[in-house]
Amino acid sequence: MFEQLVEKLPVGIGIVDENFLVIYLNDFFRDRLPREYRNSYKDTPVTDIFSHQAKFLERRLKSVFVLQHPSFSYWEQRPHIFPFKSSRPITGEETQMYQNMEILPVKDKSTGRKYACIFLQDVTAQASYFRTQQKLSAALKEEHEAQRKLIHKLDTAQSQLIQAEKMASTGQLAAGIAHEINNPIGFINSNLDTLSQYANNLISICDGVENHVTDFNDEVKEQIKNLFEAQHYDLIKDDIEELLEESKAGLNRVKDIVDNLKQFSLDSTKGSQIVELNDVASQTIKLVSTQYASHHYKVESADEKIEIMANPGMIKQALMNILLNAAQAIPDKGYVKLSLLKNSENITIKVLDSGEGIEHKNMKRVFEPFFTTRPEGQGQGLGLSTAYTIIKKHKGKISINSKVGKGTVVTIELPITSKDNSATAPQ
Amino acid sequence: MSVVIPLDEEQRDALQELLNIAMGQAANSLAQLIETKIDISIPKITSVTPAQLYSLLFGSQDTFHTRQSFLGDIQGEVISVLSRSGLSEIAKLMDYSDPLSKEDVEEIILELSNILAGACLAGLSSQLELTTNLNMPTLFTPNKENFDELKWQHSLVMEVQFTVAVSSFSMRVVFCLDDDSLTRMKDTLDELLD
Ligand SMILES: Nc1ncnc2c1ncn2[C@@H]1O[C@H](COP(=O)(O)OP(=O)(O)OP(=O)(O)O)[C@@H](O)[C@H]1O
Ligand SMILES: [Mg+2]
Repeated sequence: MFEQLVEKLPVGIGIVDENFLVIYLNDFFRDRLPREYRNSYKDTPVTDIFSHQAKFLERRLKSVFVLQHPSFSYWEQRPHIFPFKSSRPITGEETQMYQNMEILPVKDKSTGRKYACIFLQDVTAQASYFRTQQKLSAALKEEHEAQRKLIHKLDTAQSQLIQAEKMASTGQLAAGIAHEINNPIGFINSNLDTLSQYANNLISICDGVENHVTDFNDEVKEQIKNLFEAQHYDLIKDDIEELLEESKAGLNRVKDIVDNLKQFSLDSTKGSQIVELNDVASQTIKLVSTQYASHHYKVESADEKIEIMANPGMIKQALMNILLNAAQAIPDKGYVKLSLLKNSENITIKVLDSGEGIEHKNMKRVFEPFFTTRPEGQGQGLGLSTAYTIIKKHKGKISINSKVGKGTVVTIELPITSKDNSATAPQ
Repeated sequence: MSVVIPLDEEQRDALQELLNIAMGQAANSLAQLIETKIDISIPKITSVTPAQLYSLLFGSQDTFHTRQSFLGDIQGEVISVLSRSGLSEIAKLMDYSDPLSKEDVEEIILELSNILAGACLAGLSSQLELTTNLNMPTLFTPNKENFDELKWQHSLVMEVQFTVAVSSFSMRVVFCLDDDSLTRMKDTLDELLD
């Protein structure tokens, strides 16, 4: 009865002797034997019948006989020891049977002879499930990674939006203030002119009195002299001119700032015309390169003519600001490259420099008005915010990428508006 | 921290002696199979907390781990710690050819664990005249948190290190017994001592 049971067990059971000759195979094995061994498997080396993994089987059988200790093999490492088909050749996903194997040492009590018993388990379903699970988990992981990236992108986009929002409001405010400041600047300027005129007149009067002091009698002479001394006339005369000069210079700087700020409120539709970007690029590069002559400059363009509808002054201004930053970022010698690219919808302008780069913590702020890392008096922090506003006005995009110690790339994308607009655009 | 060893001096010595013999047999088995000389350290018997066990097993880097449970008169788990270095030389001795795939490596460490743990356990059981059966080994990658959550306070561990003479390979086999088995083993040791 036991023999019948063993015959029918849903696991493979085989017994081999110390020479690896097959003594017994149950149905599970016999049903799957290679045709030529169906009737002659007995007393044949198991490694001949299943030559596919002969070396491995031999090694494991040897170990069992020598050590008299069971040996195990798993589908994860060695899925198909015996070349058996999956038990579901039609509906299953796997074509080959996945197997776990265990070899046990056994001893015939009556003869004392040693045998090895091979148990083979069909774990195809389990393996298939496991593998599907693994694929799923890999897919999930991938998806998760993609989501993480997306969230990161959204985060950046959001902070850029906030930035843009801030820019817009600060810009408007700045433009408003600039306008208001313009009036007082105007009269301060003309008053200063008048004042310096008046000062000159007063000085001439005093000088005249001083020159003719000998014409007065001693008492008056003494009084005049005392008066001049008490009021420190010599000092005033020296200082007054300097003070006026300095005030004028200061006022000019205020005027510059205000002019820059006014860019924010400029209406870009005014002054729109066809602009050829290759020309604009090389013109601005030329200006910057004479100022910062130690660097190497290069303009790269894919097309001979790259035309857009734009305000040429503003575009030049924007490029100028960016190129200046690039040149200023290079401490000693380096290169600045401007490249122009055109496709059917966009023009991409890239300004690349080999400068010191931008620290991560500053990346979010570089477009902010008045943000500068330059020493006091050397930068207003308006270059990039002005460029930003100009590009926005032209319905374009501007972004900046940087690696500390390596350099910086500013990328501008401008949409190509159709030429028909040029007819209606005012000169 | 004082380590409580739940064995008295005499029991300990007796067990030490038995382990020496059992481990020697184990080393011989492996040596026979891969035809190389194998050295063993003097087996260490200690009582550990989960945290101590963790650092005992996973203190060194660049190691593989497997675990196997055994049932029978005494029960517990064997954890093997195998060095990464020298593994490819052992693989050659075991008839694997370069380059080793990930699966080859896994198979080799499972097989080595099974042989050594099996031989040690068989030796120990026969010395103590107990019957035990070793289950199949599996790969083991634990993390510290899981060890902190273990329910037991102290466990007796028996540890032995094997080194293969011609390579930089070494391997530690650590036996951990549960409380019942410890009592059972103490009784058996007492019987042997009488
Ligand atoms: N190409 C660049 N490389 C490194 N840092 C840059 C670059 N472009 C801009 N920056 C950083 O961004 C800051 C802001 O630039 P922005 O042009 O707006 O102002 P600024 O150059 O400081 O002053 P200015 O108003 O004179 O242009 C700079 O101070 C500088 O730190
Ligand atoms: Mg600037």
